[in-house]
Amino acid sequence: MIDPYYLQQLAIGLSLGMTYALMAIGFTLIFGVLNVVNFAHGEIYTLGAFAGLVLISAAAPPAAAVIFAALAIGALAGFSLERLAFKPFRRFTDEASLKSRAMRESTLLSSLAVSIVVREGLEIGFGSQMQSIPFAYLINTPVRVGPVILVTGDFIIFGVAAAMLVGLQYLLTRTRTGLAIRAVSNNPLGAKYVGIDTDRTIIVTFVVGSMMGAAAGILTGLYYGAVFPAMGFIPGIKAFVAMVMGGLSSIPGAVICALILGIAESMATTFVSSGWSDMVAYGFLIVTLIFFPNGLFGARRERV
Amino acid sequence: MNLRLSGLLAAAATIGLSAAAFADTVKLGYQLPLTGETAQYGQDFRKAAEIALTEFNGSGKPFTVEIIFEDSRSDAKEGTTIARKFVDNKEIVGVLGDFTSGVSMAAAQVYKDAGLPQLSQTASHPDYTKISKYQFRNIATQAQEGPYNAKWMLAKGYKTIAVIAEQTDWGQSVVSGFSEGVKAGGGTVVFSEFFNRGLKDYRSLISKLERAKPDAIYTGFFYEDGAQFLKQVQQLGIKTPVYSTSAAYSPKLLELAGDAAEGVHLTSNFLPTDPSADVQHFVTEWKAKSDGAVPGQFPAQAYDAVRIMLAAVEKAYPNPTREKVRDALAETKDFPGVTGKTSFGPDREAQKELVKVEVKGGAFVPVAD
Repeated sequence: MIDPYYLQQLAIGLSLGMTYALMAIGFTLIFGVLNVVNFAHGEIYTLGAFAGLVLISAAAPPAAAVIFAALAIGALAGFSLERLAFKPFRRFTDEASLKSRAMRESTLLSSLAVSIVVREGLEIGFGSQMQSIPFAYLINTPVRVGPVILVTGDFIIFGVAAAMLVGLQYLLTRTRTGLAIRAVSNNPLGAKYVGIDTDRTIIVTFVVGSMMGAAAGILTGLYYGAVFPAMGFIPGIKAFVAMVMGGLSSIPGAVICALILGIAESMATTFVSSGWSDMVAYGFLIVTLIFFPNGLFGARRERV
Repeated sequence: MNLRLSGLLAAAATIGLSAAAFADTVKLGYQLPLTGETAQYGQDFRKAAEIALTEFNGSGKPFTVEIIFEDSRSDAKEGTTIARKFVDNKEIVGVLGDFTSGVSMAAAQVYKDAGLPQLSQTASHPDYTKISKYQFRNIATQAQEGPYNAKWMLAKGYKTIAVIAEQTDWGQSVVSGFSEGVKAGGGTVVFSEFFNRGLKDYRSLISKLERAKPDAIYTGFFYEDGAQFLKQVQQLGIKTPVYSTSAAYSPKLLELAGDAAEGVHLTSNFLPTDPSADVQHFVTEWKAKSDGAVPGQFPAQAYDAVRIMLAAVEKAYPNPTREKVRDALAETKDFPGVTGKTSFGPDREAQKELVKVEVKGGAFVPVAD
């Protein structure tokens, strides 16, 4: 018979992993699949959470409306982010520019700049204090499953993450848009030559990925009951590690690795001090980079 | 500007003029986190300092005081850089801050060498005032608060106690101060562990802690972490009583944790409900500047710190030097502040009276035992 303590820790780890996965899905779509470095995903996540909070405090709408508001802000933020931080660097389409590393690194910096501006802007607008979400909206009513206690939010987050994953796999593998995304990710110049509207494809990817990021933000906000400007940083790091472990371009890989990460963290708490549990994520990152340079799920050459 | 001013000062010194001869404005420095993860505290300190300063400058003194605020982002490196900047500015005769013990102590090394008095409103690590004769604080340390709370809990009949605290200099002093108190009182600390500040999910830690089956839990955290911890304790259906330090004393704790905060016991040295005129004046001023929000203990600490420093400057006037301000600070006796009377002992520690508080019906209520 398994000690119920370990079952509880496993459940906590899975639920923790699901919140990382929620963030990692949109992140991997933009970062991994599209092959552009987007450091502003954490802020999109925060924006989604704030959009929900503002709507809740202004109109007290039903929960579904809050999610839709976050999705709309996410789409808008993704579109603007692409316009501001990425499009200007795609002006030059000659081969030398496309292959130059400076071009790729400049978007790394421009997205980082956008993320800092957004975060500081939120701090000026809302203050850096944690904002509380009214208790009626929180998704943390305890639910007892056998010897284990979970909360309603665990099931909601699981459902949303699963829906995102399935929907995205369908989009990427069964639709023309998905085909175009994969083509652009494989060879942007080639995609352009065969008549794919690369600009549109990239914008669509940003919009879809950012909608998922924003949804992750508001869901985690409702789950933990607190929203603040710096909230995107830690989940961003965890999602990044999950993505690298998953092989950069595999969304299911990132989700599985996010779950592994969550479980490892909660289990590690049993054996080492909780203060060290963040080391688990970084430890995994280092081990992956040394022993699995392609990630655990990224051995195949083909992306997606 | 600064260069030119210090040049002027040097010139003035060589021809035998004192700085005060042409300065009717005395300058103080205040290093505090205005951005970054602990910005909410720094912003409150500045607000409180501005209230104190406006009052002082409006009270018809023969001189005015200016406070230069610098943002340390709660980063020890930033803190020491600011300290050097303040030290180099010869017009600055005293410094307030920083927020955390870690940053305050890093900056203290610079103030120690330069002989610039430093008064922190919140640094409560026992070693802070041991750095040199220039370090002061007007807050109870964990070396005072820990044993006080240990005695309180033991008197309530809790024999086995679990302790958790954030992984910082301050958190370490919470655990050591309290654990010594428990041992001295005949109790046992059955579990003690540190967590990273800003951790969102405490459930693993709470499950692990409950495995040790403590009679009660003692916690060293600030309100953000405290609210998450309390909510998750409630989520997991755990009924073990939770005690905490004055660091968790903030109206925000109640707002964020809701009914999960019910029954939490903690100590404080500021109660906004205190009917005394001084406290009510501060609460009114604070509300006017904060959309009606009630101040917690930290802004009150800053308000008192600034006023203690201003009183010292006034005492050192008409010729305030860093050394004179230090000596005036050291002589502070029974300063009537909103956090009670403050006197500095020979070790430059504030002797503060603590109030026992319990959360009841969504409010902090003073309790006798």
